[in-house]
Amino acid sequence: MTPTWLLRRNAAPEPGTADETAEPQAEVEAAEPEAEVAESEAEAAEPEIEPESGPEAAAARPPNGRLRKAALAGAAAVLVLGGCGFLYGAHQLRSQAPARNQALTDAGATTRVAGDVGNALARVFSYTPDGTGAAERSARTVLDGRAARQYETLFARVRDDLTDQRVTLSTRAVRTGVIELDGDRARLLVFLDQTSHRGKGTGEDEAGATTAAAQLTVTARLEDDRWRIVDIKAR
Amino acid sequence: MRRARILTGTGLALALAFCGTGAWTYTQARTDDALVRGRERDEALADGREGIAVLTTLDATTRQSAERSIRNWRDVSTGPLREELGDTEAEAGSSARGTVTEAALTALDTRSGTAKLIATVRVEVTPAGTAGTAGTKKPATDRKRLEAVLARTGEGEWKVRALSAVPVAEEKGGE
Repeated sequence: MTPTWLLRRNAAPEPGTADETAEPQAEVEAAEPEAEVAESEAEAAEPEIEPESGPEAAAARPPNGRLRKAALAGAAAVLVLGGCGFLYGAHQLRSQAPARNQALTDAGATTRVAGDVGNALARVFSYTPDGTGAAERSARTVLDGRAARQYETLFARVRDDLTDQRVTLSTRAVRTGVIELDGDRARLLVFLDQTSHRGKGTGEDEAGATTAAAQLTVTARLEDDRWRIVDIKAR
Repeated sequence: MRRARILTGTGLALALAFCGTGAWTYTQARTDDALVRGRERDEALADGREGIAVLTTLDATTRQSAERSIRNWRDVSTGPLREELGDTEAEAGSSARGTVTEAALTALDTRSGTAKLIATVRVEVTPAGTAGTAGTKKPATDRKRLEAVLARTGEGEWKVRALSAVPVAEEKGGE
């Protein structure tokens, strides 16, 4: 899913190539892939085995070649095992949840999703009495899934009141924090300021302007290179 | 015989190279900038969340419990905020219990060890004296939005340096 993860995946087949080249060396090695599967987490055990095989190899030299061969094969097996252990450990480190979450670690993507979502909310929740259509049009492009349905029901309920009472609402995202960013999904916490005017006046300054605070947790999805809001929860 | 020896040597060398590659990859992952940053981010967020919960909580049913709360405040704060809180006088009064409902980091500087965090907090305020007597006043629930500046201390722990409410902007002319 994530590009870095894919990269790791492609790098993983390395053990295979190493095994193939090692194969013609001795038949003992054939048993090695099984051991590898059984103990792929055994990276910690590796330092214990290694010193053991050293003296063994030295002691094996005088009697005959067979023991020596076995010792060498053992050493190779330990090394390959160790390598597998390290690779496995590296893979673990990179695939854990904190590593997959790119919030603030990928600065560009974080800024982008925060900006997109902030703008989308500002557009969707800003309207003039005669221009609710614009807000609803933006809603269709930036909202999806549950968020779109929530928005529609809300708007259906208040649309008539809006035009009757001449309500103008302007919304601004004052703080946006990305909680989670995993490839094409993101969760954000957004603080909004919503200023509403009520009255018949069109251009003049209204005395009856009130500003209210709103806090939302927003789930967004990246579709066609654009962030769309799929869920909104008030906090 | 000779061929076998060469093969053995090559095999061992390959195994060694493979192990080396593994070790190198592991070291890279361990010290990878993005991964280190990710770990720091999660630590800062967890510590910050806890800090804010503590700082919005005051158990003032008795003087002693209030003193304990204030000690807790000092434990999770640092710098000017810590000094300011240290001057708070403990006395029995209304209590408050804060719960962080959501929090996110908005900035993180791993080098200097500072971070900014925003959080929504639900604060339950229990007026004084309702614990013992049959309370007539009910606890009031308040929702707050806060912004905190965190600083990493020597022990690698993140503490709250500053905490403030994010105010609703006063009306700006024309907009």
